[in-house]
Amino acid sequence: MPVVVCPSCDLAHRASKAPVTARTRCVRCHALVQRRENRHIDTAIALAATALVLFFLSNAYPLVAINYNGTTRAATLLDAAEGLYAQGHAALAWLVFITTVLGPLLQIAILLYVLIPLRRKRRAPGQNTAYRLLTQIRRWTFVEVFMLGCLVALVRLSGYAEVVTGVSLWSCGLLMLALASLTVHTSPAQFWRWVDWSRA
Amino acid sequence: MSTQATGKSLGLLLCQQCHATVRALGVKYPRCPRCHAHLFLRKPHSLGVTAALLVCAAVLYVPANLLPVMYTRSLLEDERDTIMSGVLVLLHNSWPIAVLVFVASIVVPLLKILGLSVLVASAWRRSPRQRAQRSQLFRMVEFIGRWSMLDVYAISLLVALVQIRTLAFVGVGWGAVCFAAVVVLTLFAARTFDERLLWDAT
Repeated sequence: MPVVVCPSCDLAHRASKAPVTARTRCVRCHALVQRRENRHIDTAIALAATALVLFFLSNAYPLVAINYNGTTRAATLLDAAEGLYAQGHAALAWLVFITTVLGPLLQIAILLYVLIPLRRKRRAPGQNTAYRLLTQIRRWTFVEVFMLGCLVALVRLSGYAEVVTGVSLWSCGLLMLALASLTVHTSPAQFWRWVDWSRA
Repeated sequence: MSTQATGKSLGLLLCQQCHATVRALGVKYPRCPRCHAHLFLRKPHSLGVTAALLVCAAVLYVPANLLPVMYTRSLLEDERDTIMSGVLVLLHNSWPIAVLVFVASIVVPLLKILGLSVLVASAWRRSPRQRAQRSQLFRMVEFIGRWSMLDVYAISLLVALVQIRTLAFVGVGWGAVCFAAVVVLTLFAARTFDERLLWDAT
């Protein structure tokens, strides 16, 4: 009899009855034991492609610009990390760079690298290592927090200078949604279900 | 006390990477057959590592709140802002945002350090009381952790934007570095804590 173990409290549950469309919660600690796992791989690839386009838009155009006594200055996503680096705070700059630029890019790149061959029932070289890296990098991608940080910065500046929002602010918001939905669509259980399917 | 079957009692290991359930009795260094990650019954040295990270975070929490996180230089004034004075400045512009920053930058890190300390202590003592609530507390700590980065991002954007040579200039202070370190350390502490230890008492 197949057994599922609760990731939060280690209680063993019977796995046989639960359908793949349902969420199952642990009877003891109410943690999620199973999520919906019947998503389509094409949806995930489409979402990843969308996220890639949004990522390039977010980096190509300025997030915000300010008008201060007739001088205009715009900042892109990369400028945020670069400004810190220029002031000698390399560690802080790396933290911001990884969590807002490198994290999203790696997530999208790894998913496309792994999922496109998988769709044709092939395995990308180093697939397992790539997916493990993905689960690590997911914990360090904070685009949604960055968006809120932008809002805070804009409110702080609004008293002193005229603030103009850029294209990138909107695409960054959409990128945040795309990444969140991508994370739901490619959960570990779902990903390994696809791998099992490609072997069959 | 009822004896419920757990992964531990059945000799089942849960892969932390791909969530596969693996039967690995008597294997010295088991690996996941599906994704080849190393398998552990519990995260190794979980409580010790988490406690160490929490002590570092608690120590750095002091300079993070006392040292200035940001310098502002303009034609009219020269200012140094700590996290708290930044909140007070925001209070003049928009109080909901000020409350948000106060919660994310001051309350959340403190709550994380205290909450995780309580959890480590109760796992250490193998306390069987209120485990469901403690489990919930851990999930909450895990969820809110990343939102503390809010102020770091706001400062980084201000630094990038306000660089109009002679008119206005914003610089980063060491308080921001300490603060970011607190956030990263508590994120690692939540990662290394194995919540299943809370339930191992029975």
